[in-house]
Amino acid sequence: MGAAKKAIYYLFHPNELRSIIQWKVWHEPVHRRDPSKETPTEKACFHYLELTSRSFAAVIQELNPELLMPICLFYLVLRGLDTIEDDMTIDIKDKEPLLRNFHEFMEQDGWTFDKNGPNEKDRELLVHFDNVVTELKKVKKPYYEIIKDITIKMGNGMADYALNAEHNINGVNTIPEYELYCHYVAGLVGEGLTRLFVTSELANPQLLVRMDLTESMGQFLQKTNIIRDVHEDWLDKRRFWPKEIWSKYVDKWDDLFAPEHREKALQCSSEMVLNALKHADECLFYMAGIRDQSVFNFVAIPQSMAIATLELVFRNPAIFQRNVKITKGDACQLMMESTQNLRLVCDVFRRYARRIHKKNDPRDPNFLAISAQCGKIEQFIESIFPTQDPKKIAAGQKAANEPGMDTMDAVFLVISALSTLALIGLLMVGLAWFMGARMDKLFNNLDQALGGSVRSPAPVLGGHEEL
Amino acid sequence: MVSEKKPELGSVMVIGGCGFLGHHVVRLLLRDYTCAVSVVDLRCTRNRRPDSDAVAYYEADITDAEKLESIFAKAKPDVVVHTASPPAQANDSVSHALFKKVNVDGTATVVKACQRTGVKALVYTSSASVMSDNRSDLINADERWPVIRGKDQSEYYSETKAAAEELVLAANRASESPNLLTCAIRPSGIMGEGDTMVLYHLINIYRQGRSNVQVGDNDNLFDFTYVENVAHAHLLAARALLLTAASKTIPLDHERVDGEAFIITNDSPVYFWDFARAVWAAAGSPHGTEHVRVLPRGVGMVLGALSELFFWAIGKPPTFNRQRIIYSCMTRYYDISKAKKRLGYKPLVPLDEGVRRSVKWTLEQEHMKQQ
Repeated sequence: MGAAKKAIYYLFHPNELRSIIQWKVWHEPVHRRDPSKETPTEKACFHYLELTSRSFAAVIQELNPELLMPICLFYLVLRGLDTIEDDMTIDIKDKEPLLRNFHEFMEQDGWTFDKNGPNEKDRELLVHFDNVVTELKKVKKPYYEIIKDITIKMGNGMADYALNAEHNINGVNTIPEYELYCHYVAGLVGEGLTRLFVTSELANPQLLVRMDLTESMGQFLQKTNIIRDVHEDWLDKRRFWPKEIWSKYVDKWDDLFAPEHREKALQCSSEMVLNALKHADECLFYMAGIRDQSVFNFVAIPQSMAIATLELVFRNPAIFQRNVKITKGDACQLMMESTQNLRLVCDVFRRYARRIHKKNDPRDPNFLAISAQCGKIEQFIESIFPTQDPKKIAAGQKAANEPGMDTMDAVFLVISALSTLALIGLLMVGLAWFMGARMDKLFNNLDQALGGSVRSPAPVLGGHEEL
Repeated sequence: MVSEKKPELGSVMVIGGCGFLGHHVVRLLLRDYTCAVSVVDLRCTRNRRPDSDAVAYYEADITDAEKLESIFAKAKPDVVVHTASPPAQANDSVSHALFKKVNVDGTATVVKACQRTGVKALVYTSSASVMSDNRSDLINADERWPVIRGKDQSEYYSETKAAAEELVLAANRASESPNLLTCAIRPSGIMGEGDTMVLYHLINIYRQGRSNVQVGDNDNLFDFTYVENVAHAHLLAARALLLTAASKTIPLDHERVDGEAFIITNDSPVYFWDFARAVWAAAGSPHGTEHVRVLPRGVGMVLGALSELFFWAIGKPPTFNRQRIIYSCMTRYYDISKAKKRLGYKPLVPLDEGVRRSVKWTLEQEHMKQQ
């Protein structure tokens, strides 16, 4: 958008502009990194973090100092892996050992990698990876072990996918395959993060017992991205929507993008949205286990963005024609609501669940299942923040059965309040009079203001006295 | 299911076994359990199983104590599932008398017959409506919510269901017959094959071209339950009661089934008008929501009052009234954790599948009538 176009847009969307200004002006990070105390390699790491991540750079830098560096490095290591996996100019023979042994390279002092193609967007990170290696050595042992463990799992997963010719030609087939893919790209990251949160005592250790909740966090984010990016991925000849789902609606994958199949494509996308929405309540449950404000913000912001994105892509034909994303104003509003407490995040989820339900179309074969899924989100929120209290309802019932009581109580309450006020008023007036206040003057003035019906010399007297 | 051994229930009697819910209970008994099945109903012609299923049918009025006891003596049930109840449609004094007679007096007779003939387990079909005052919302309500009785209960039908539930639960381990264990199932919004109420009315609305009006904002969640799931819950409860009867000790409070009421739903509340639209879509409606006009609740209430006034003036019962408006704007959904934990209940059929099956059946019935 050009500046003029932007100005016009915000003229008609003042709320969004307000949200942006509010966020920019009033957002006070829980923690702020202090560059003056950082080593040059630390600074370099944050430089590459900002270079490689649009969405995570800000929230990572506001993390609790205990986890600031470990999570920044965790991100950079995974980004490094991703940059190798993504690069189609690297031969698979070279790529496979690079991916599988990445956890060893990241322990070698001075290790860098400059074999990425010139167009690989994050190649700079690997060219200067020695900075990351240096900083990784300083990370506390338990945190380092977690980072390393996930790097091994992720590297092997990526190598398996790279070698899987079927996957590379045809994409994902079944729903379990789709969820396994999401596990490798997002579920594993979630696993690492949860372990970091619990090890640093910033989250409830129960989260390690309920790893399915962590998995849902990752699945929810990744599935949302896959739905949103369908057009971009189609242009890149990549397909992540499972055949098991889209083949119910169209015969060929490309048909999904043909205007004549638009309604079928929309129905297909709503099944994809339904499939993602089933994780929403578990995401809220997970967030209830976070004990640190900065960690809460870190996990809640992407989740709020995801439910808002699901609402945006739901029954939206534009996703088959171009990239869609939530507006900056909405994003700022969501960030504000996601950096306070679980209750507000629940409000966000309920608001967007209701918007999804409003867009739902009865002709869609997934209509009632989507309605039920939105209902499930609302019901889950009720289970953690109940609106009704059975004890109060039962008490209200009893009170209603003895009607005289509470009306009489109310009358007595009002009478006693009024008489207290009257008494205090009288006391004050009496005290004022006792101390020499001229009440007569007041009443005469009042009388005059009302038209002077009472004849009295008082005004004249008053006047003289004042002179 | 085939390889697994079917659980045993001994001799089971289904009262109202030719009715809407009752005949599904009979169907599930034959499908999922090992047992002998007998049925008591006012008439045993409709919804009757083929003779090959060996169900013993007895025609009787459940308020006839003598007749009922003689049938009990003959069938010797271990388990009684009491589903009989008149349809809750009408609201005049004649139907009130019927509600009282069947629901309260009939249930009292059934309880007596159970106590006198050594029945081990009695499962009673109550209703989730016993917790509703028909005005206030019920938001994720569970069994801790109070039962609404007396003058707070504006629906006489619900009052009689609550009274009957009280009778049944009071009979649990009662001194007259300490071996009889009882419990109550409170289903919400039953629909399914054989239903002549919820679906029938909804499909009529669509046929009359009235599916284009929505009262209220449609953010109110409501629980509808597919009949097979309700039947399933009854039998889980019966089984739990038999297991309790067989054990020497009284179960812990948080595990108890005997003497308890259980709310049963499909465990998937949906927005009120979404349910109606799903039914209409299944019935062939070509509409989305573009043609829908939203009537705010307040306006609806005024129109309802005017309608009541008009019909009062001409001396007829109103077809459209404020209660209708209230129902369609009311939030009424339940938390069924208790049934999940203690009965091991989980709906067998998801809601959308239940709607598809039920609407298909309703349309087939219409088709048969036309021919």
